[in-house]
Amino acid sequence: MAGPLWPRSRRGSTDEALIRAVYEEHGNALLAYATRLTGDRATAEDVVQEALIRAWRHADALVNGKGSVRGWLLTVVRNIITDRYRAKAARPAEIAGSPATPPVAEDHADAVVDTVTVLGALDRLSPEHRDVLTELYYRERSVAEAADTLGIPAGTVKSRSHYALKALRETFTEDQRPGAPRQSAGFREVTA
Amino acid sequence: MNRQQHDEEVLIGPYVLGVLDDDEVRRVEAHVRDCGACRQEVSALREMETALGEVPPEAFLDGPPPGGDLLLQRTLRRVRTERARALGRRRTLAGIAAAAALAGVFWAGTAVSGGADPVALPPVPPSPTATPPVPPGTRVASATDPATGARMTVRVTPAARWVRVHAAVAGLPPGERCTLVVVGRDGSRTPAGSWVVGEAPPTGKGKGVSLDGSAAVDPSRVQAVEVENDSGRRFVSVPLPA
Repeated sequence: MAGPLWPRSRRGSTDEALIRAVYEEHGNALLAYATRLTGDRATAEDVVQEALIRAWRHADALVNGKGSVRGWLLTVVRNIITDRYRAKAARPAEIAGSPATPPVAEDHADAVVDTVTVLGALDRLSPEHRDVLTELYYRERSVAEAADTLGIPAGTVKSRSHYALKALRETFTEDQRPGAPRQSAGFREVTA
Repeated sequence: MNRQQHDEEVLIGPYVLGVLDDDEVRRVEAHVRDCGACRQEVSALREMETALGEVPPEAFLDGPPPGGDLLLQRTLRRVRTERARALGRRRTLAGIAAAAALAGVFWAGTAVSGGADPVALPPVPPSPTATPPVPPGTRVASATDPATGARMTVRVTPAARWVRVHAAVAGLPPGERCTLVVVGRDGSRTPAGSWVVGEAPPTGKGKGVSLDGSAAVDPSRVQAVEVENDSGRRFVSVPLPA
């Protein structure tokens, strides 16, 4: 409600601080992800810029939401890219006035829910559990390599990864309890 | 459940992660064949392995992008421009109808922070820049049904004498056979597509979905877009202002 009544300068510096903070913390992840999906650095930069602007427009939700901020941002990046591809693919059809296409259900929207949820759940694991999953799953390290990186015996890598998956399952079960805070954005954006 | 601890049990995690060597894999598989509890554990943890796949590996990179902050500067410039434009608009509004403008801001504030589902982020409105040109007459609207919790954002794009409908729907119960219905001003109901709500592992909630459909309804006659199931129960209705 303070919006229009705020002094301009103060409002301005808050906005810029928010964008700067998001960029400093998540910029590398967002740009790397966008670059992989688009295969082009310049396009990826445009996409990340758009995502930062959306973060700024939805600062309330970003700051107050309990889900993973990074998950939300990555989701926004993916949606922007998907919508751009879709818009490109749809344009020739518009000109041709093609007959009605049957509705197509996409997994896109489901994935949106899950990136935020899963990243939120990973955030709540102990650092030991998170690290072992990061090494084995996301960095695709072998047990021996992970043991080396983490400085623990190979046997511990195995058992720890087992308990990490079990702990992950626990956090999901907690989410499902009635009254538990919802984690997910749960909604795909529509860019017209 | 009273079950004994097996040596193999603790290997199930690394087994579903695919990091065991061949001997260990054989050992786990032989054991799982004879042990119902461990079989269940395999499928439970395999769900977790699938869930991990929803997160891109880049999610674990920290810090700003390497190579300077040109991108940041560019973004900040754009924000300054947009803000200046918004301020200009606001001043004009203030002169004409300050009260109405404030009411609008108030409403926007509660829409973002209140409601039945306080954590869910709102669908992001169409942005005026950096998106492809929008056909004239395109309308975007969203609504949440407080009773069912179903949420939908729709985009209705006019064609010659019919409409394309793009809908993003979430919060429906899994298993429902749903129809997307375009409601005309005369009360006519034209289906634009149908689907069955999937179940989103691991939460067991209904999967969100985005759909592209169409309906032989004149663009000027579209009053609302709704989702109903095969027995006519309405989950959410999104009115479209003319």
